[in-house]
Amino acid sequence: MHRANGHTTVGEEVQLTPQGVTEHLSYKVFNIDKRFVLALVGLGVLVILGIIGFIVRAVDDGFSDAARPQWGYYAAMFGFLLVTAGSAPVAAIAFRWTKNHWRRPLSRASELFALVGILNVLWFIPMIFLLPGIDLNGDGVLAVGEDRRTIWFEGPIGAPLWWDTSAVIGLALCGLAILWVSARPDMVALAARGTGWRARFLSWLSMGWRGTEQEWRLQQASLAVLGAFYFMLLVFVHTLISLDFALSLVPGWKDSIFAPHHALTGLQAASGTILVTIFLMRTCGGFRQYIGLDPFWSFSKVLLGLTLLWGYFWFSEFMTFWYGRDPTEQTVVKLVMFESYRVAFLLNFFFSFLIPFVMLIWNVVRKSVIGPAIAGASVVIGAFFMMVRLYVPAFNIPQADLGAHTVADFEAEAGQIAVQLLPVKPDVWDGFIVAGGVGAIALIFLLGTKLLPVMSMWETKEGLLYILFRPFIKGRYMVLGKPE
Amino acid sequence: MQEGKPLTDREINRGLLNILFENPLWYWGLVGLLAVVVLGAMSAAGYMINHGLGVTGLNRPVMWGFFITNFVFWIGISHAGVMLSAILRLSKAEWRRPATRAAEVLTVFSLMTAMLMPLIHTGRAWRIFYWVFPYDWARGIYPNIRSALVWDPSAVFTYLTSSILFVYIALLPDLAVIRDRSTGLRRQIYSILCLGWKGNPRQWKLQVIAGILLSALILPVFVSVHSIVSFDFSMAVSVKSWHSTIFPPYFVIGAVHSGVAAVVIVMALMRFLFGWHDYIRPEHFDALGRLLIVVATGWFFFFVMEFIFGLYGLEGDEIGMKDFLTAKPPWNWWFITFVGTTYFIPVSMWLFKGVRRNPWLMLVACVSVNIGMWLERFLIIVPGLAQKQTFNFVWGTYAPSPVEVVIIIGTFALVSMLMLLFAKVFPLIPLYDVKEGEILRSEIQIGRKKVPAVIRDE
Repeated sequence: MHRANGHTTVGEEVQLTPQGVTEHLSYKVFNIDKRFVLALVGLGVLVILGIIGFIVRAVDDGFSDAARPQWGYYAAMFGFLLVTAGSAPVAAIAFRWTKNHWRRPLSRASELFALVGILNVLWFIPMIFLLPGIDLNGDGVLAVGEDRRTIWFEGPIGAPLWWDTSAVIGLALCGLAILWVSARPDMVALAARGTGWRARFLSWLSMGWRGTEQEWRLQQASLAVLGAFYFMLLVFVHTLISLDFALSLVPGWKDSIFAPHHALTGLQAASGTILVTIFLMRTCGGFRQYIGLDPFWSFSKVLLGLTLLWGYFWFSEFMTFWYGRDPTEQTVVKLVMFESYRVAFLLNFFFSFLIPFVMLIWNVVRKSVIGPAIAGASVVIGAFFMMVRLYVPAFNIPQADLGAHTVADFEAEAGQIAVQLLPVKPDVWDGFIVAGGVGAIALIFLLGTKLLPVMSMWETKEGLLYILFRPFIKGRYMVLGKPE
Repeated sequence: MQEGKPLTDREINRGLLNILFENPLWYWGLVGLLAVVVLGAMSAAGYMINHGLGVTGLNRPVMWGFFITNFVFWIGISHAGVMLSAILRLSKAEWRRPATRAAEVLTVFSLMTAMLMPLIHTGRAWRIFYWVFPYDWARGIYPNIRSALVWDPSAVFTYLTSSILFVYIALLPDLAVIRDRSTGLRRQIYSILCLGWKGNPRQWKLQVIAGILLSALILPVFVSVHSIVSFDFSMAVSVKSWHSTIFPPYFVIGAVHSGVAAVVIVMALMRFLFGWHDYIRPEHFDALGRLLIVVATGWFFFFVMEFIFGLYGLEGDEIGMKDFLTAKPPWNWWFITFVGTTYFIPVSMWLFKGVRRNPWLMLVACVSVNIGMWLERFLIIVPGLAQKQTFNFVWGTYAPSPVEVVIIIGTFALVSMLMLLFAKVFPLIPLYDVKEGEILRSEIQIGRKKVPAVIRDE
């Protein structure tokens, strides 16, 4: 039986103390160096490009039903935001539930992506206007809020614009709530060590946190409940968005695994996002002493499992459609996989499945820092191409053809693809929008790191209490406290 | 995860090998009773072979009934082994230790039982050889490898083979312990079975590596088996409500749900029958209960997806099917029972820690799950076939005959009897695993509190 004293070791034999953790992480929040400014400037340029692309598109094409095909890549980018930053907080939630100690260096980084939820809501607003209109009351006029395509129930209240908007806003709010609840102890520590407006703001935001036992218990319970809500909301959002903005826009496409596959892609891409983030934190961010091999090694196993599941879900979809030889299903398979969007599909398949699978089956790759990071980057890229091959063809179906019974009915010349199903290549404004989206995710995250510590102070210090190294038989092994 | 008093090797050997070396009366009484039920089922099967499939309730258009439902059910139960043994072994969950072998053995016996079902279902079981092998080279009649029904035995046999291997590799150290405590013919048999196990470092290293490799290799088999069983249904375009892309993961997660629940039942009974209170503790039921909440909720999501997509296409016959299931008695009562017993009743029980830590209440909840999961398979198969489809010309209904009911009950008795017989010959809780858990057990002092800890050997 050993006493956990102020000095112990974490990860790879690095000396950390609770006091040292607080001082160092506080310094990281308040100090702004040249590299950070350069990153902000670079990302700011991307965001400005994105805004320009959006404005040009909005002015040139508008948001009418006729303009919907022009916004396919914008919708794909929304899907990308959802599956990466929107799903990232799940890493903190899930590994807190399973009580994995290796989650500690990455939990706050994962929660910080909840700030990008605000971008999700803003990005989503134009998409509501792009949903196809149906003249419900028969007055010959399409009015926003009165006439919309309904899937869930009859009437405007039941329309997707209400369900989807509520879900996206709810997800953003829940994510911010989790971030706030988790960060309250750290806010107090930062406010005590800082000066200026940030210290005053953090002091106010902490809402009088004193660190009593009752407050800690309440915090744990809140994180558990909010985490459960976030997870359920996330699955709900994935289901609604993927069905309303992709599946339902292609006549005759009925695919029960579509929404679960979309949700799983979210979990996979979120894992990739977090792996890339902690890699950058370790190599460029100055957090090497906090982020050892363990998070990469353990998270890579999770990513391998999610990648295999992704391949399994894809195969279930493909096999059922391909084997059945139903004309509609065959047309859909050709549309999103083997003809119109073949390039996007191949890139999706390679980056989301083949590359991470081939890499992560090797223990030597999993048990490294760079290997899981590359696999993570690969799945993020793959997720983008998946969004392209799902949303772009869906948005390209003209309004007049939405009422068709099935895509198999679209007329085509012999041996040719129907006009409605031809691939849509991105133009320069689509490129600006995509670049702007990626830049905005990174910019918001970086700005968040100057408000809250990118690594959770209280969780790191808690880990110092629970993790010791002790001689055992002939070696020296980690002893992991399991208070639960 | 450190409740219970520390145990010495001697106590572990004595405690876990008690049933092998003792002959309590209740044991043989129970085995005898189960054997009678199994004989009854065999008689019913013999009666059916003699008189033909007409003695069952099967008839056009419901060609699949209780037998195929039971087949899918037992395949589902078999997924417990890999879930608890392989996945928890790879993730180093300490609470897996008393559950792994029981889960693996349940896998083997439930797979064997499942494979009996299609054999019995053929009516003339000997003709299975004509189906497997080409019987007339001149006419070129070969098994149709494009049929999901041909993929099924390949998958199930692969899973059975790998599961048997998995059980056997993990048994080797324990067989050596029993060998060392036996005499005469018994000692000779165990000596042969343990393949010369001496327990030196090299053998332990190979055994651990083999366990990890088998765990990793059996995982894709575990997913593929029930996916291929689901292909028996989802590949069929002709039956409404079957052709759905979500069937493979829906079936797999349903299998995990029923399988883990079955393992909880087995563990509760083991604790009661064999007196293993020191080894199967409330903390294990607590951990399994929390796992079951997650699995059950995942299953429920897939169930909802499958249900609403039946309505999504606004196709008349699919809506008619769902209406039949939810509004027409007695099917609506079966449907309500199925959803209640599979999800709402057990999950609302598992939300309470007091329930999760109570072996008897966990037994009740998990029996409820398995009743519901059996009903789920029944409600997928029979109502779909009973509706008029593209390639048949009649509506029909189905009522099981006493022959089918007896055979189904017989399968439950068979698996139970085989588990009991296994427990008489091999320990159902791995000795070396429990001993390893004791060695890796530790404590940390944090302030004034002693916190249980575990030594990580990596």
